[in-house]
Amino acid sequence: MTAVDVTAPLEVASRPPQDRPRRRLRVGQSLGRLALAGWVVLIAAFIVGPIVWLALQAFATSWRYPSWTPDGWTLHWWQFVLSGSDLSSAVGLSLTFSPIVTLVSAVICLPAAYAFARYEFPGRRLLLVSLFATNAFPKIGLYVAMAGLFYWLNLMTTFLGVVIVQLLGTVVLMTWIPSAAFAAVPRSLEEAARDAGARPTRVFFRITLPLATPGIAIAMILSFLAAFDEAQGTFLVGAPTYVTMPTKMYELVNNYPQQAAAVFAILLAVPSAVLMLLVRRHVMGGHLAAGFQLR
Amino acid sequence: MRRSPIRGLLMVSPPIVLIAVFVGFPVVAAVLYTFGHIGGTNSVIAAIGQRQHVSHGGLGTAAAYREVLTDQQVLRDLLVTVLVTVITVAVVLLLAGGVALYLRLSGGRIAKFLSGLAVVPMFIPVVIGGYAIRQFYATDGLFRTLAHHLGWSDAPTLSYTMGAITIGEIWVSVPFGVLLLASGFAAVPDGQIEAARDVGASLTRTVFSVILPMSRAPIVIVTTFTAISVMGSFTIPYMTGPSAPNMLGVTMTNYFVSFNQPQQAQVMAVVVFAAAALIGSAYVWANVRSGRTSGVSS
Repeated sequence: MTAVDVTAPLEVASRPPQDRPRRRLRVGQSLGRLALAGWVVLIAAFIVGPIVWLALQAFATSWRYPSWTPDGWTLHWWQFVLSGSDLSSAVGLSLTFSPIVTLVSAVICLPAAYAFARYEFPGRRLLLVSLFATNAFPKIGLYVAMAGLFYWLNLMTTFLGVVIVQLLGTVVLMTWIPSAAFAAVPRSLEEAARDAGARPTRVFFRITLPLATPGIAIAMILSFLAAFDEAQGTFLVGAPTYVTMPTKMYELVNNYPQQAAAVFAILLAVPSAVLMLLVRRHVMGGHLAAGFQLR
Repeated sequence: MRRSPIRGLLMVSPPIVLIAVFVGFPVVAAVLYTFGHIGGTNSVIAAIGQRQHVSHGGLGTAAAYREVLTDQQVLRDLLVTVLVTVITVAVVLLLAGGVALYLRLSGGRIAKFLSGLAVVPMFIPVVIGGYAIRQFYATDGLFRTLAHHLGWSDAPTLSYTMGAITIGEIWVSVPFGVLLLASGFAAVPDGQIEAARDVGASLTRTVFSVILPMSRAPIVIVTTFTAISVMGSFTIPYMTGPSAPNMLGVTMTNYFVSFNQPQQAQVMAVVVFAAAALIGSAYVWANVRSGRTSGVSS
């Protein structure tokens, strides 16, 4: 069991009891370190290996197994992808959908987030949890089930249809995270402002909103990413009329030279990676996990 | 908290209505469609679909279920889906749990590095991750190249097999597990751990008798979420898996897009929903039960 594997080296590595014989300790410690190092290398290879390998391919002329290095290095594939029209149309569509979806999501969800944090009303908890329905259904099944309604409303292969399908993936993020942020604004500050004569709207815009802005910004970035990376639903609803970057990947991986697909993959991964790095601290710091602690 | 029933309900209604209309309603309509009801919002899809089983009054017909669930191919896909889901959940719990536990107990630089590493897949779109994994474990991929140079010259090609699907699902699921479990373990007070150690509990004993029981909620969340997202995945099995048998996500997309048999596709969707609901309720039930008997609440 992994839990034991990890803790075994740890037991000797982390501040051992002092009454233990020193010699045994040193042997145990180095063995523990070795096991730990092996474990770290394995995880690193498992997680990062595929990405590094993909990145290398984008610069290779060709690669013959089992050579360590490619037959040659080239920028040809970058030129090939960047000069093609496939890329620009997919990028254009992705950069149209994602901001629209993020904004619509903010307009729909932020008032709700505030209400969940600040008002008491019947069914509050139940409604908060029910938003989670999108994530409670296995995704692809949900999209297939949605198709009947989408056909009936004439939303299949339409712009609005793609917006809606991407929007659904952002609702939880855009409600839960800002709601936690609003709830964390100290009520004493708001009351102090009101005591000083500020009207409720002024209190909201001068006190509550600024303090909740980091949480809202994180929710907006994560929603943007959710929309930008959404592939399955966009594929079912939008293809072949609306082919965004991730859905283009489905097609590319089978029809393109693998190096060109690697270039395309890197171009698609860059915005995500950069935006994620921006919010990394907050996501790791528990904003995401905090969203799951329903109050 | 202010009591404002009307204002509160009005403000929360937009996202609630959105979810009700585009998630709740379609699921009900889809269930009706799979039982042969082709009226109402199902009328357009029913006009397009082929090989449908139509109900003539009454509760409906289970003919579509009979057709899909006696199809050997579909049954194999269902089995693959269940297997991949179970293995993925188990490995994610062990891997993410191991990393999170190490972070909790050591807190050192290596532990931080390891947990930072484990969330990297979150930064990469799933499509890219899937493609990267397919290339990495391909016949001429880095995995076999490495194995070759380490003296294992006939390492298997995992790409286009269930192996690569499982690896891919684990790869994309680990970050969520690490994040949730790390924050769950962090919530266990130092005092509790030290108290157990002081009375002579070994580290393993401390983990199994103190940390894990006190982190039941995050563990349940990671388990159910990973299971649901794996069952509902399309990208990873599509990118890394064989053409057949594959996971139901790919099969139902094929039935829908390529074979133009939406009813059969929706039957598979409902089957996957049922399986997910089963997993969810089994876990909730198990936890309520063990919580009651052990007296530890999550």
